[in-house]
Amino acid sequence: MGSEHPPVEEHDESKKLKVQIQEKDLLCINGCGFYGTPQWGNRCSKCWRSHLALMKKHHDFTKNRTLLSFDNFQERRKLSTESRSMTIKKIFKPSAMLGEGQSQTMTPSSSMSPVTTPTRVRSLSPESKASREAFSEYLSKNLPFLLVQDIVKTVKYATNKIHELNAISPDELSDLVQNFYQGVSEKLNHNPVFTSGKLKVRTQDVMEEIEKFLCVSCYSRLFCASSDEEVADVSLQDRIRSLHWVTAGFLETKLDFTNVSKCKTTNCQVRDKLDEAISQIIDMNGHRTAEKKLRCLIDCCHAIFEALKESVAPTSADEFLPVLIYVILKGNPPLIQSNVKFISRFALASRVMSGESGYFFTNLSCALQFVQEMNHESLRMNQDEFEAYTSGHLAPPLSLMNCACNQAIGSMERSLAEVGELLKKQQQLLVKIEELDVKMTKENEEMAVQFANFLKVNPSQKYLQMKEEREKVEQETKLACSLSDSWSSSKLSSSRNSEDEPKATEQATSTLLQ
Amino acid sequence: MANRGGNSASRAGGSAGTGSNRTCQFKLVLLGESAVGKSSLVLRFVKGQFHEYQESTIGAAFLTQTVCLDDATVKFEIWDTAGQERYHSLAPMYYRGAQAAIVVYDITNQDSFQKAKNWVKELQRQASPNIVMALAGNKADMANKRTVEYEEAQAYAEDNALLFMETSAKTSMNVNDIFMAIAKKLPIGPPPGQPQDTVDVNQPAQQQKSGTCCK
Repeated sequence: MGSEHPPVEEHDESKKLKVQIQEKDLLCINGCGFYGTPQWGNRCSKCWRSHLALMKKHHDFTKNRTLLSFDNFQERRKLSTESRSMTIKKIFKPSAMLGEGQSQTMTPSSSMSPVTTPTRVRSLSPESKASREAFSEYLSKNLPFLLVQDIVKTVKYATNKIHELNAISPDELSDLVQNFYQGVSEKLNHNPVFTSGKLKVRTQDVMEEIEKFLCVSCYSRLFCASSDEEVADVSLQDRIRSLHWVTAGFLETKLDFTNVSKCKTTNCQVRDKLDEAISQIIDMNGHRTAEKKLRCLIDCCHAIFEALKESVAPTSADEFLPVLIYVILKGNPPLIQSNVKFISRFALASRVMSGESGYFFTNLSCALQFVQEMNHESLRMNQDEFEAYTSGHLAPPLSLMNCACNQAIGSMERSLAEVGELLKKQQQLLVKIEELDVKMTKENEEMAVQFANFLKVNPSQKYLQMKEEREKVEQETKLACSLSDSWSSSKLSSSRNSEDEPKATEQATSTLLQ
Repeated sequence: MANRGGNSASRAGGSAGTGSNRTCQFKLVLLGESAVGKSSLVLRFVKGQFHEYQESTIGAAFLTQTVCLDDATVKFEIWDTAGQERYHSLAPMYYRGAQAAIVVYDITNQDSFQKAKNWVKELQRQASPNIVMALAGNKADMANKRTVEYEEAQAYAEDNALLFMETSAKTSMNVNDIFMAIAKKLPIGPPPGQPQDTVDVNQPAQQQKSGTCCK
């Protein structure tokens, strides 16, 4: 009892204390007049709920702010652009990287890289795995084993090196990669296997494969690696957005959006071709290898040429460059500058310096530079006007060309034209119907007349037969009548029968006629 | 496979040393005011076509053509440039690394001749020093409307050590000749390898490279 007593007392005291406190603070701390409870932070139920809502709002806000902060935004965007194409693969092969992680060149190097987060390594794996397989398959198919081993070793070393060197600037990295290409191609050129001329492939082909593999496996390290470049990209995108009003008319392109008549037959319009070009240039960002990026660019440029062809404009550089600029302004392709830099830094020099890809790449670089430096002089207008349009204070005047570029107006025009045509067709149809009506009644009458005449002239066999039968029957009735007449005088009782007889014969003839 | 097929144009750029007849690839850039007939000239040279209203069916901005010389085959990669004044500042990107340039003017347009002179001046200052330059006075078939005298242009070309011809894309006068003249002046010298103007720059780098990267 003695040992039990004090705790009871204490309990009592605390109870007393509590009661005293409760007496003071029993009401909701918000002072709304209701009673509060300790587990609700001394609030009444209503105040507690509103407090919770407030807290949640605050929490969400801070969370959003961190998410929307610039670095994170870019980080996420990079992540999303990289993993966009492989999400499905990721679902099906979640542990692809765990299984084959140790076996080959790519994975250890990427895990070494400090830039890659764990999630990104996983999303990166399937694509580079595929490219690694394609690469080794290509090599083993076309080259002798010893040389393959040599090349794989060299490339593996290079990829590891690229991932290790993280303090290096992109331009220095570019020098290293270009030197690496140069070194390998020299080495291959001097290799007796290639000089003997027995191989189907040439050094250039092998170099292209090496470049492809290097681009894919080190993409995270090579593409858009520094945040400065991301900032430059974002600012370029903003700039392009502010230049939305610069349309084909201002650039003096020779695109002819109104050329509908020709398009109807060939089923490809200038606008469609331009849309294709725009989607191709946007697609550039979706690929990892310099080769595929350039392929998109080439397709884009070819679509532009077709659009020019459709507009019956000459397809020379004088016309091509303005349209390319227009396509860039309209498409506002994502991370375009980073893509250009990636290609110029890490693609084989032969791609960038020569050939169709080189030419179009130069044009793209030029177009981007033009967009960046675009001012009132380059559009031949006065400065105030240019700035007013760019800042959005003034809307540019609606010229024919500018309207033609506008998608909405374009589709409205198209619908109007279609409606007009439909109306015309309808009227034509109405006229035709009337004509047909008149013709039909006329022909009907004519037909009736002709039919009657024809029947008069050429009665059919059946008709003649029927006619004969009728005549026969008539004669018989006449005979019967004359007989009945003679009979009627003699017999009155039979007269009724004789009267019935002609009726029956008449009926028979009418049915036959029918 | 399909992907690689697309690069045939660039791959064909490599030089193939087969016997005495080598193939060398050169980049030739066309400069000149717009509408002087740059692309017509190229179309005539490459396709043998001329269209009065330029209803060309192909992209004439980038074309290749091969010319056979006695001891070598020269493959021209012809880069057309936009001639409008507003794109003038972008030109260095086009003529960077070009081994040859044709500056075109219109003999019926004195202004285009002045522009051509500016181009020549700019190329002398900024293009690679051993670039082969040619001056072409196009539209020679319209001699009755001539405003630029032959002698004047000839004298200017001599002063600046340029190849000079008056050409006509319409009648094809001198078109092949001017390209042949350029081909003959080009250095066919370098042995099989990348015929690029950066070869000498890359060689030391490559040696250094083989030490650091290629085991």
